Parts: sequence; C-alpha cells; structure tokens
Amino acid sequence: MRLITNKERQRYILFIIIQENKIFLDQKTLLKSIWKSIWRYFGMKEANRIGLWLIEFNSQEDYFILRCSHETKEIIISALTLIQEINGRKIILSPIKTSGTIKSIKKHKLLLNNIK
Amino acid sequence: MTYFESRLPVNFERINDLQNRLRLCEKIGIKNIILEPQNDLRNISLDLKKEIESFVKINIFYRINLKIDTLDDFKSKIKNYNKFAGILSVESLNKEVQLRSAKDSRVDIISFSDPEILKSLTPGIVSLTKQNNSFIEFSLAPIMESNKVLQSKNFRNLYKYIHLVLKLKANFLISGNFQNLFNYRHPRALISVCHTLLGIPLVLAKKAFSINPELLIEKVQKSQNNIFNFKIN
Repeated sequence: MRLITNKERQRYILFIIIQENKIFLDQKTLLKSIWKSIWRYFGMKEANRIGLWLIEFNSQEDYFILRCSHETKEIIISALTLIQEINGRKIILSPIKTSGTIKSIKKHKLLLNNIK
Repeated sequence: MTYFESRLPVNFERINDLQNRLRLCEKIGIKNIILEPQNDLRNISLDLKKEIESFVKINIFYRINLKIDTLDDFKSKIKNYNKFAGILSVESLNKEVQLRSAKDSRVDIISFSDPEILKSLTPGIVSLTKQNNSFIEFSLAPIMESNKVLQSKNFRNLYKYIHLVLKLKANFLISGNFQNLFNYRHPRALISVCHTLLGIPLVLAKKAFSINPELLIEKVQKSQNNIFNFKIN
C-alpha cells in the first residue's frame, strides 16, 4: 500500500545544448527563454503546476539539468523542444535522459562525458 | 523502445551537407532514420548506401517520395516502381491521385506533410489506406514556425486531421520532415509535443514514432523477399 504524503514526485531531465555559433549563454537567459516558451504554449494553467528548478547548468560542456514535477515532464520537454532561438541565435535544447533521482542522471551524464 | 525519424529530406549530391546532417542527428540521439533524396533519384545505389552508412552509427533506411499533380502523371511515374524494393510514398494535392495511390499496393505511404495537402485529407482516403495496409503520414515541420498566427493555424490543422485518423483507427506515421538543420529534434521530444499540444494519447504517439515505422519496414522487407524469390523461381 502506498502512503499518502505531502511530498510531490519529481523528475530530473538532462538536456544538451546545440548552438549555431557558440555564444555565451548564461542561466538567466536560458531560464527566461524556458519560461517564455512555457507561457507561449501552455499559459498560466500549466505554468503553475511545473515547479521548475534549474539544478545544474554547464555552458562549457553544453548541458543542463532541470527538475520538475513528474506530472509536467511532457510539458517541459515540449516547451524546450519548441525553443528555436535564444538572443537571435539558432539553438536546439534536446532531452537526453529523464530520471526520478539526481544520482542516476549524474551517472548518465558521466557516461556521456566518457563517450565524448 | 527505439524511435524513428521517418522522413529526413537530404540532397544525396551534397555529401558534406548530408554528413553534417547525419552527425547532428547522432548528436541529438536519433537511432533510426529514413532518408529521402531531394534530388530526383529513382534508385539509390548500394555503394552510395554503404558510403552514407559509414558516416554515423545510426540505422539508416531509404524512401522515395513522388510529388504528383495529375492522374496521368501518377500512372506514368508509378510504372517505374513495379519491382521497387524500398519505401515508396506519394504526396499530392489532387484527390484523384490520393485515392488511386491509396488503392495501389506499390505505394506504402500517402503523405500529408504539407499544410495545404493536409487540408485535402478525407475519411475515404483513410478508409482505403486501412484496406490496403498502407500508412498515412503527418509531419511536424509546419509547427516550427516563428510566426505565432501561422504556427497556431498549423497546430489546429494537424490537431483536426490527426484526430480524424485516430477516430477511424487507421495506421499513421508522424515524421519531422525538417529542412532546416536547427529544426531537427529527437523523436522522443516530438512525442511530447504530440501528446501535450496535439492531444494524442502518449501510447498512440509513441506508436506513430516507433511501432508503425517498424511495421512499415517489415512490410517493405517482406515484399523485397517476395521479389527476390520471384526472380529465383
């Protein structure tokens, strides 16, 4: 039997960044674009359910990890898929791995680095 | 589950460009691709296939797309594909051509990728494709539009016609069909878009990107074996 708790289930998603020309992309700009896309495609109704948190951002190795509520995983992936440019520069934010724990997503990230 | 990018238009004459495109697909994490030659190639040679497959570690399949305007044009062009052993798709704005290709066993896919062609989809064609075990194809390229008004129109049309096909329980594929390099997306990301913005149940969206392309390839491989057996006999 599953205990009813207040704690919401989370999902951690690892994204890679592919840019047309490598530019300086900071956390603030990235988050602004993500929220803009969420608002554009899903509006207030979905935006308040997301619980978005940027866990890790690495502009050198072109990846970032987002945390969101498990129910809104698909919304986050859609919103980031539909981002086509940031600051007028073409960009792809592609989901690589989704996980329920930060530990396994970091393991996957390490594996990716080793492959590189 | 392995997902497919069922339509990637490329020019086989520009090998460097093709290589760049495939490398980007690999970087994004795409495992299976169906390439479509943009230049008027009737058949893809084995040597060219080997060369392309050496660029990346991706499963690559090939398809030929016929863009046809009139019924006479269809009749004359389809003759060349009597013993064609690959995936053959037809794209036309003409309803007669669509009906004829839906009845024709040589045609594997009836493509409704273009927003204008999409509007010509009718329940009759859907029903014929069901009888013939062929596939209806939708593309997500029109949603990568920066103009909000056009983008929402394209979303609306895709929503309307995908739900028509869902209601009639026909076989359908969803492909990217992106021309621009920076519009390429992983099929899993496109599944999320289909689920959240086009209202397709997650199971059916996954089916359109994984099981149905597999079925299509199986069907083509079976017909390939039949042609081979026929040649031996």
